[in-house]
This record gives sequence, structure tokens and C-alpha cells, in this order.
Amino acid sequence: MFGLALRTLRFRAGGFAAAFLSMFLGASILMTFGSMYDTAVLGGASGTGQETMVTMASVVGGWGLLLVVFAVASTLTLSVRQRAEEIALLKSVGATPRQLRRMIVGEAAVLAMAAVACAVMPAALAGRGLLELLISTGQVNADVSYVFGPLAVPMGLVITFVAATGAALLAVRRTARMRVTESIADAATDQGRMSKKRIAGAVLFLLLGLDLAIVTATAMRNEGSDAMSTAGQASIYAAIGMALLGPIMIRRVVAVLAGTVERLGGVTGYLAVCNLRRRTGQLAGALTPIVLFTAIATGTLYMQSTENAALEAAGLAKSVEQKNIETLNLVVIGMIVVFAAIMLVNTLLAATTYRGREFGQQRLAGSTRRQVLGMVALEGAVLTVTGVLLGTVAALFTILPYASVRLGSALPEGSPVVYAGVTALAVVLTLGTALGAARRAVRSPAVAAVTV
Amino acid sequence: MFRRKAEERTGSPEALRLESVRRVYGAEGNQVNALDGVSLSLPKGSFTAVMGPSGSGKSTFLHCAAGLDQPTGGRVFVDGEELAGRNEAALTKFRRERIGFVFQQFNLLPALTVMQNVTLPLKLAGRKADPEQARAVLARVGLGERLHHRPSELSGGQQQRVAIARALVTRPSVLFGDEPTGALDTRSARDVLALLQEAVRMYGQTVVMVTHDPVAASYADSVLFLADGRIVGRMTAPTAEAVAERMTHLSDEIIPAVA
Ligand SMILES: Nc1ncnc2c1ncn2[C@@H]1O[C@H](COP(=O)(O)OP(=O)(O)O)[C@@H](O)[C@H]1O
Ligand SMILES: [Mg+2]
Repeated sequence: MFGLALRTLRFRAGGFAAAFLSMFLGASILMTFGSMYDTAVLGGASGTGQETMVTMASVVGGWGLLLVVFAVASTLTLSVRQRAEEIALLKSVGATPRQLRRMIVGEAAVLAMAAVACAVMPAALAGRGLLELLISTGQVNADVSYVFGPLAVPMGLVITFVAATGAALLAVRRTARMRVTESIADAATDQGRMSKKRIAGAVLFLLLGLDLAIVTATAMRNEGSDAMSTAGQASIYAAIGMALLGPIMIRRVVAVLAGTVERLGGVTGYLAVCNLRRRTGQLAGALTPIVLFTAIATGTLYMQSTENAALEAAGLAKSVEQKNIETLNLVVIGMIVVFAAIMLVNTLLAATTYRGREFGQQRLAGSTRRQVLGMVALEGAVLTVTGVLLGTVAALFTILPYASVRLGSALPEGSPVVYAGVTALAVVLTLGTALGAARRAVRSPAVAAVTV
Repeated sequence: MFRRKAEERTGSPEALRLESVRRVYGAEGNQVNALDGVSLSLPKGSFTAVMGPSGSGKSTFLHCAAGLDQPTGGRVFVDGEELAGRNEAALTKFRRERIGFVFQQFNLLPALTVMQNVTLPLKLAGRKADPEQARAVLARVGLGERLHHRPSELSGGQQQRVAIARALVTRPSVLFGDEPTGALDTRSARDVLALLQEAVRMYGQTVVMVTHDPVAASYADSVLFLADGRIVGRMTAPTAEAVAERMTHLSDEIIPAVA
């Protein structure tokens, strides 16, 4: 079965691109920040400089890690789901659930190793850049030398490996246990019925987010900008919880918007609604990065602008430490937002490209290309609305307690233009990617699209 | 571009006409002549089977005739109207008005129910999807009770009957089938063939069906034999035995050419 895993990887390299990319980016981020710890301990740093780097490494140790694990897991789940048919086929020729597990988990393991190996160089370079940034802003002494390795590499390797194989194991378990005929039917339609475990996970993350929000508003009330550490994490936990509830939320939003979408889109709207209802599971995969992107970008940007307003109101100039925190925030957030944006494009590209056959079938039934693209656009619009909505709610877990602590107000400081910008970017990324991928998928003749 | 007037179009006694149609696959150097100058004319209300060895160009012939593929040369007329010179959207619109196509692998949309699959072509054409009309067609193919099932909940034979209902619901001038019984058991195959025959006999539609099964071919009024991209023979009022006999000779002729 491991041999089959390797052969499959080679044969369907394209299908694994999304999972590989998320592991590669995840491992790069993990190792970049891991090298801050290496440098702090072994690079001859001391005092506040050392502290800054340790903080930086552990901040990412907290939620960056969680995010990476979650992103790797969700792309891998998507790729296993997309292969439900192939898995069903293998089962029908006699593969046992155990053999299937070994195959899928074996693939994930190979991918993870390859992704980490590819990530070493970029991470080493990014870590060096980060150190130079810290030195040039005077937060770390210029004589500190860069160290990459002792912690960074094992951390990147272990976390990526465990996340990938763990997610593969979870994803394949459901498929592998089903009867052959069931899983063939399941491959055709997937209404995204949510398991109890998934709902429990969602509730857990939402409660964690809520807990951090409450801690921010109570225990951290007099800690000034230190409240950022708890407030910042709150929206990330909440976003993961919201993303886990994706299928339910999509159905809710569809129930509300179905009439409008069908009126607006005619038959394309009708098809979009059918797909959103019947293939909720597949579409929910693309929802996750939209939620994360919106939540993290909105949450952190408004937290920072609230912080700036609080300092201004107090008539204080920023201390070195506060500047540190701002740099840290912007760099970390910059990386994580870029990560989420790439995940968004990556996931949506994989999900849409996979639908080539379905688009072909639809065209054979009489759809023009324009009608297919119209349907994809409407689906994308509903996904964006849902994702931005959930992401915004998650961002409030950060913004509201922080505003209450720093400004004593229920509302954050900051320009609405920032929110408009984040939303616009989510819309552009989602629709741009989905339509771009769909346009490419419908370029080939319909007959060719259904025979491959 | 030359187009016939509407009255002439509907008055055309020809359902399908091909004039020296060629289709070449592949780049310069290793080209394959999948269709090598095929000309024919099929009258309205005829039922034609197309037979030939694997790789003889049967699918290519159907795709070119149905506007799913563009011939490298020659002309195709459906219902008296030439297919060439239309862009993809115009061709799609023409296809959904005049042409039905049934595939070996059904190609139903998995997310839609039986009823939704059948009404889809009407909806896509912006016509009012009359549920009664769709129900009537589904009743005709014996699936009046399965309206709200999904394709994955049906047997192969049932799925193919849905596909036929979907192809018939727009009342196309020509219905093409590419080995429509190829994935079915004998009994389901017979049901499907009877439906195609009924479309011709009772509703005056035109059916062109690719098959490799002499029994299936015997349901047609005439059989065309293809080999190496050319029409090499024709048989009217075919019987399964005569077709089988003719096919063995066809492969006799082909094998030396291949070897
Ligand atoms: N997309 C394609 N690209 C290249 N060659 C093709 C393609 N489709 C069909 N052919 C070739 O054209 C010939 C006829 O194919 P086809 O029409 O599918 O035959 P049949 O349906 O009779 O088995 C074969 O030699 C086949 O290999
Ligand atoms: Mg064929």
C-alpha cells in the first residue's frame, strides 16, 4: 500500500498541490519563528533583546501553530474528500480499511517530509530577515548572530508531520469505514452533515475564544497593552470554531439568500443554490480560509488602531516595548494574513479545478460557458458573504474586549475603510480565484472534460 | 454565413446531413485521421445504428454530427441548418433546442434529483419548465415514481432512462446515443432500446446510435459500418445475425491493416 501511495503521488501530483503548498507555507512560518528561539538562546543575545525574540517565538508557538495545523488539516481533508470516488473504487476491488488508511496516511507523510525539506531554505532566509528587522529597529543588539536549526527544524518537521498524518487519518477514517456502495453514493453528493465530534470541536474553540475575550476584559483590565496577547488569540480560536461550523452556517445563509440568488441569477442562481445545498461539505472547505483571513486581518488591525488611539488619548509616546509589540504585531499578522490569503486562493483553486467534470456534464446538458461561470460566481458570492460574516463575528472576540479595556468603550477606534478594505480583498480573492479556475476548467471541450 | 429560412428549416426532410466531414487529431507528424471524409444523409424519423471496430471513429462521428466537436473539414447540417460558423454559446443554444445526446456513462448531474436533471435543459434554455411535461416524459421512461431520487440512488439502467428523458424533454430533432446500452445489463439495455425505438415510431424523432452490440443494432432501421474513419457499408432492416456476420468480416478486413 505504501508503494501504491508513492505511485499515486507521482501520478496525481496536481491533486496534491494544495495540500503540499499549505504544508510548505506552514512549515516555513513555523521554522521562521522557531529560529527566533534558536537565535535567542544560542546567538549570544541577552536582556530585553533575548526576551523579545523568545516572545516572538512563543506567540507563534501559541496561535500561529494552531493556524498552521488547522490549515494543513483542512486542505488535506479536502484532498481526501475529492478522492472519495477513487477510495470507493479501491475498496470495491478489495482494499481493506486498514490498507486504505496506510495508503492515505503514507501519502500525507511523504508530502509532509517533502514540504518541510523545501521549506528549510525560505524559512532560514525569512528568519534572518526578521532578525535584521529587530536589529535595525534597535530591539536586538547588532552583535547577535543568527542561528537556525536546533529547535526550528525539529519543530517544523514534527508539527507538520503530525498535523498532516493526523488529519489524513481522521479524514480517511470516515470514508474507509463505509460500505462500498455507500461511499460511491457519498462521493456523488455530500451534504456536509456534521459529526458530533466536529460540533464538539467547534463549541470547544468558540468557548476558548470566549474565555480569552472574558480574560481580556477582566483579568487583563489593568495590564495596558499586555492585554493584546490574550485579545489577539481570542479571534483566532473563535475563527477556527466558526470555520468548523461552516456547513451549518452555509445552509443557514443559503436558506436566507436562496430566493434572492434565484431571482437575481435565474437558472444559474437555481443551480448555485442546488450545489450549495447538496455539496455543502465540499464548499465548506473553501469557507475556512475566508473566515480565518477576515477574522485575523480585521481583529488585529482594529486592535492595533485601538491601541494607537489609547496611547494618543493618554498623551503618551510609544515606549520601546510598545514599538516592539507593534512591529511584532504587524510582522506576525502580515505573515499570517498572507498565509490565510494564499490558503484561500490555494483551497479555492483546488476545489474549483476539481469540478471540471461536473462543469462538463452541465455544459452537455445545455449550459453555455457563461452560465457555468455565472453559477460559480453566485456560489462564490454566497461563500464570501458567509465567510466574511463569520470572520467578522470572530474578530469581535478580539476587538470588543480590547476596546473595553483600553478605551473603556464598547466600540473600537479605527477607520471603517480598513474593514471595507479587508472585505473587498476577501471578495476579490474569492471571486477572482473561483472564476479564474472555472474559466480554465471550461476552456476545454465539454466532451473532453467528462471523459477524463 | 448562409442560413436557410425558418420555413425551409422546418420543412427540411433531412434530419442530419454530413458532407465530406474530416476530423484530424494530433499535431503535424503524428496525425490520426479519426474521420476521413464521411458523407451521409439521414431522413427525419429514421433510426440508424453506427457500428465499427474500436477506434474506427464512431464517437468522433457522433461528436462532430452533434456539434460537440468541430470537424477539421466538411460540413454538418442538423435539421437543415449548418453547424459551422457559430460561436460556442450560439452552438450550445442550437444544441439544446435541436439535439439530444445520451452517453454511455449517463452524465447526469449528481447534485440534482431526477426531476431537476430532466427539467434542467428547459431551464437553461430559459423556457418555462413545465413540470407536467417533464413528468410525462419520466412516466414514459418508467420513472414516474422516482422523481425525487438522486442519480446515485438509481441503478445504471434507471440512470440511463433518466438521461434519455432529459434528452427527449426538449423535443430535439435528432437524438444521438454513444453506446447508450454499453454499461447496462441485457434487460436494462432492452428497455433503453425500446424507448429509443418508441421515440422514432411514435414521436417521429430521429435517432442515431453507436453500438458494438449486433442485437442493439437490430432495433434500428438501418446500420452504418465505419472502419478507419470511413463509411464502409450500410445495411437496411438489419437482423442481429446479419450484423454479427458483417462485423466479423469487417474485423477481418481491419486486422491486416493494423498489424
Ligand atoms: N482527443 C483525441 N486526441 C487524439 N486522438 C483521438 C482523440 N479522440 C479520439 N482519437 C483517436 O481517433 C480515433 C477514433 O476514435 P473514436 O472516435 O473514439 O473511436 P471509437 O468511438 O470508434 O472507438 C482513434 O484512433 C483514437 O485514438
Ligand atoms: Mg467510442
